Amino acid sequence: MTTEVTAGGKPFIHHHSAHCESGVTSALFRDKGVEISEPMIFGIGSGIFFGHLPFVKWVGLPISTFRSHPGSVFRKAAKRLGGEFVTKRYRSVQKGMDELRRVLAGGQIVGLTTNIYWLSYFPNRFRFQFNGHNIIILHEIENGFRVSDPVLDHPVDCLTEDLERARFARGPLEPRGFMYYPLSVNPHPDLRAACIAGMKDTCNMMLRIPLPIFGIRGMRFLAKRIMKSGEKSGFKEAARQLGNIVRMQEEVGTGGAGFRYMYAAFLQEAADLFGSDELAELSNDMTAIGDIWREFAVVSARIIKQRGQSDETFAKAGGLMLICAGREKQLFKDLDKVTRKLKA
Amino acid sequence: MEYDKIFNELFDADGLRKGYYKLDGQGKYVLDTNPTLGEAVVNGLMLTELRTHLEESRKAVHAGLKSPLFYYMELRQFDLPTLAKSAGIASFRVKRHLRPEIFAKLKPSVLERYAKVLMVTQQELKTVPDI
Repeated sequence: MTTEVTAGGKPFIHHHSAHCESGVTSALFRDKGVEISEPMIFGIGSGIFFGHLPFVKWVGLPISTFRSHPGSVFRKAAKRLGGEFVTKRYRSVQKGMDELRRVLAGGQIVGLTTNIYWLSYFPNRFRFQFNGHNIIILHEIENGFRVSDPVLDHPVDCLTEDLERARFARGPLEPRGFMYYPLSVNPHPDLRAACIAGMKDTCNMMLRIPLPIFGIRGMRFLAKRIMKSGEKSGFKEAARQLGNIVRMQEEVGTGGAGFRYMYAAFLQEAADLFGSDELAELSNDMTAIGDIWREFAVVSARIIKQRGQSDETFAKAGGLMLICAGREKQLFKDLDKVTRKLKA
Repeated sequence: MEYDKIFNELFDADGLRKGYYKLDGQGKYVLDTNPTLGEAVVNGLMLTELRTHLEESRKAVHAGLKSPLFYYMELRQFDLPTLAKSAGIASFRVKRHLRPEIFAKLKPSVLERYAKVLMVTQQELKTVPDI
């Protein structure tokens, strides 16, 4: 935790968070005087999800996602907590940067969507072409900006040139200089109603999307593909694909086990908020499921590392994922029942 | 291959830490900063893959199979459609420019567009480093 000063002279406390989008959203709310934690935003914005898109390729590998569409956590959380936000995209680089400077000069901190590759304050191992990284700009400094990146544990400086490139990078999911900041925020949001809305939405997304690639069904679909992948596409390719799934699960700012631990943290906070033992119980279940996901990651890591020499097989990895699917189905069914009983 | 070793070396070198949610002794969730084995291995795998690709492309350029543009494309982790879009050049033209004999005849104005997007100078764009 580091304290910084915004252009308006207000103190800003930098919190280290696991996920960029929920971290930025919670920082924007905190700046307006609403104390809200990162997992809370994540739960209210219905961040947890699962999807496997075999036909969408990213660096030649199919996409498996453990979260909802980038941008939706912010959008949903803002709506449910009653915050009015300005969101803008730009065609012209010049206009986008001018507008950013104008808002910063007014003492407002601003959230931006950027390409992580061009943010040079990251060391090389973080830098890959991904157009959905969210950061907060605190104020302008000499030939650059002061940046509070929620993924890092301290604020950093970023050159103007880098920021321009990062904001207006091309490719899939182009940010087009996406910029957002609060106009007004309800100082006493109805947290209980927001939590219920978030949980209901999550249950719907996980259980009731009638396509076999999303939610619990998506998990089963992917698990079966992993089981067969060893024979189907050869060890090397199968290991690459498995590695990509684990990377999506553990690496890309998920807070561990594909956001499952973060959701457990949300359920824990919600249990305190409602004084509900059932939610506390579900939080424990979620932690247990997260542990199985961790085990899946470890088994996969062993497969990749030992190049098929170990006792671990693709069938075992897929089997672990099937167990996760079964347990999560039960959990979200229970959560659905519990949310119906809760009163706002 | 010791993928996790590669990752850990880099990790120790820059010391940048990310947050992971973890239960503390009292059963409350807190933010922890130690990466897991799974993360270390898959990241090491990805980094190794990127390096091998880059090395292969460098060799291909030296062997005269590809133009230097291909190397810099790999260096910036671009794929063909993204490079085409960023430079504002049709992708079938970019594809042609990956051939050394066609790349050699490019006008400075076209080179400048690539150089700007790939963040290298025009001089650098014409050659690849020898190692």
